[in-house]
Amino acid sequence: MDEILLTENLTMTYRVGKVDVHALRGLNLSVNPGEFVSIMGPSGCGKSTLLHILGGLLQPTSGRVIIGGEDLTTLSDAERTDLRRRKIGFVFQRFNLFPTLSAEGNLKIAEHIHGKGKPSRDNRMRLEVLKLLQLENKMRHKPLELSGGEQQRVAIARAVINRPAIILADEPTGNLDSENSKIVLDMLSRLNRELGQTIVMITHNPEAAAVARRTIEMRDGTIVKDYLNASN
Amino acid sequence: MTLETSYFMDSLVFSNIRQRPTRTIISVSGVALGVILVILNTGLVRGMLNDRIRRERGIGAEIQFTRKGSSMLSPSSVMSLDLRYGDRLRQIDGVSQVSPVGRYVQTGKSGLGFEQVDGIIFESYASISGLKVVKGRVFQNDSEVIVDEFKARQSNLSIGGEIQVFGKQLKVVGIYAPESGARIKMDLSALQTFLAAENKCTFIMVKVSDPDKQEEVQKRINSELPGNVVVLTRDIATGFGRSIPGIDGFVNAVLTLSVIVSSLVILLAMYTTITERTREIGVLKSLGASKSYIIGVIEKEAIVISMIGVAIGLLIALVAGWAIEHGTTLQLEFHWTWILTAILIGIGAGAIGALYPAVRAANQDPVKALAYE
Repeated sequence: MDEILLTENLTMTYRVGKVDVHALRGLNLSVNPGEFVSIMGPSGCGKSTLLHILGGLLQPTSGRVIIGGEDLTTLSDAERTDLRRRKIGFVFQRFNLFPTLSAEGNLKIAEHIHGKGKPSRDNRMRLEVLKLLQLENKMRHKPLELSGGEQQRVAIARAVINRPAIILADEPTGNLDSENSKIVLDMLSRLNRELGQTIVMITHNPEAAAVARRTIEMRDGTIVKDYLNASN
Repeated sequence: MTLETSYFMDSLVFSNIRQRPTRTIISVSGVALGVILVILNTGLVRGMLNDRIRRERGIGAEIQFTRKGSSMLSPSSVMSLDLRYGDRLRQIDGVSQVSPVGRYVQTGKSGLGFEQVDGIIFESYASISGLKVVKGRVFQNDSEVIVDEFKARQSNLSIGGEIQVFGKQLKVVGIYAPESGARIKMDLSALQTFLAAENKCTFIMVKVSDPDKQEEVQKRINSELPGNVVVLTRDIATGFGRSIPGIDGFVNAVLTLSVIVSSLVILLAMYTTITERTREIGVLKSLGASKSYIIGVIEKEAIVISMIGVAIGLLIALVAGWAIEHGTTLQLEFHWTWILTAILIGIGAGAIGALYPAVRAANQDPVKALAYE
């Protein structure tokens, strides 16, 4: 099967004052369509940098990143933005919903950007996603009227609504209590199972990581372990 | 409601305008201020000049003769023209009648604007201009004046009422029509006495015997009495921009000022907005919004704010214009070209002011923007 995501010899070096910080040191990773991969590791191991590079928000120092057959590292800033629009859905630790828009408005703006200004013609995907995430009755609410767990589910709905090739989730349960964490993780795994959505999720919580089918452990900018979780 | 309209109502642009009322009110006021500035100032300039021109033309004489440096329209009280010029003008071929006019300018009653008083020789003036006293009688001594119907109505004057000229209370003894020249008229010799200008006047009205030959008469006056200003009354309208020095510069300064005020207010408001919304801009970028999309969102917001500002500004300007006309001696005349200019300036300045914040937002580093607290 062709990989949906592939990195080759990815390095990222930051210059902090006069010191070079090697965030990624020749990282090789491949993810197949339909996989749910969690990336674990201590703070500073380079997992956030990796996620930003995979999403085209950062340009690596060297190496290649191929997403759905397109090499991100050869693209201009505008082309990477466009690839993000077509192929990537982000979920953040802090939800990052637009506070002035209702839940529905947050979904529509994602559709609007994805459709290059045209509203979506087809409501089926939205209805399916909302049903799956149990958000049908929350659409009129503003983010601040929703619980943290509900906000994160809206954010997940926003990421998945345009059927991206990959969802990149950055500590999606980092701001949630254990009950809401469980709900959100359950939603992600249902999206993966029922819609075949490819997900790459960063976490430093082993319980969260265990929800994914495959876990990658990182340390000092490189992969140290890569294994399947037996229970999934 | 269709999907499109509900999206439109719920879009980021409108929700931001609603959710940030203080910011919206301040920016709307800024734009409104610019619009008010343009409409009132141009309305005032236009109104005052056109009012004057109408009355200058109503004077009935084809030619106005005066000294260099004094103008029929300029707000100054120069009486430097010797009355004997009248006799010399009368002898020129083609001239049928002459009538000297002395003009005095004083501050308007509310302190705003100015008011003119003409000193005339009633018989010759009335014969040239067709002026008639419609109520009361003609002035008979130095402390009597007549006023036109507009002045009587506006200042609530009736026969026997008093009006202040040179700081003195003069008595209104008559109301005349039609309008011509200054709205207050008194005897020329009385004005000469007040201004200590014996045998002087400001300009001389010249009536020609054949109006078709007024240009020939003008040339003849110019050659026989060189060094003076000989103006055809019908040319006053086209020359009015020049007859009050600096009027075009003043209008341009007002326009520039209002562009600057409106665009600066929008610039500051949108700059604050994008700083406040750094993380939202990061989110837009993470969703794949292009630079032009982000610029578009911010520009649209600025333009909607500007349009609200323009509408409120128009309303206030029109109400204020009405109040000024009724409360002062100032005359306003609104013209659609200036109203259109004000609208375009308001919206254009908003768009220009938002450009820098919009481009800055579009160029933000998405990773830094997402980490912004």
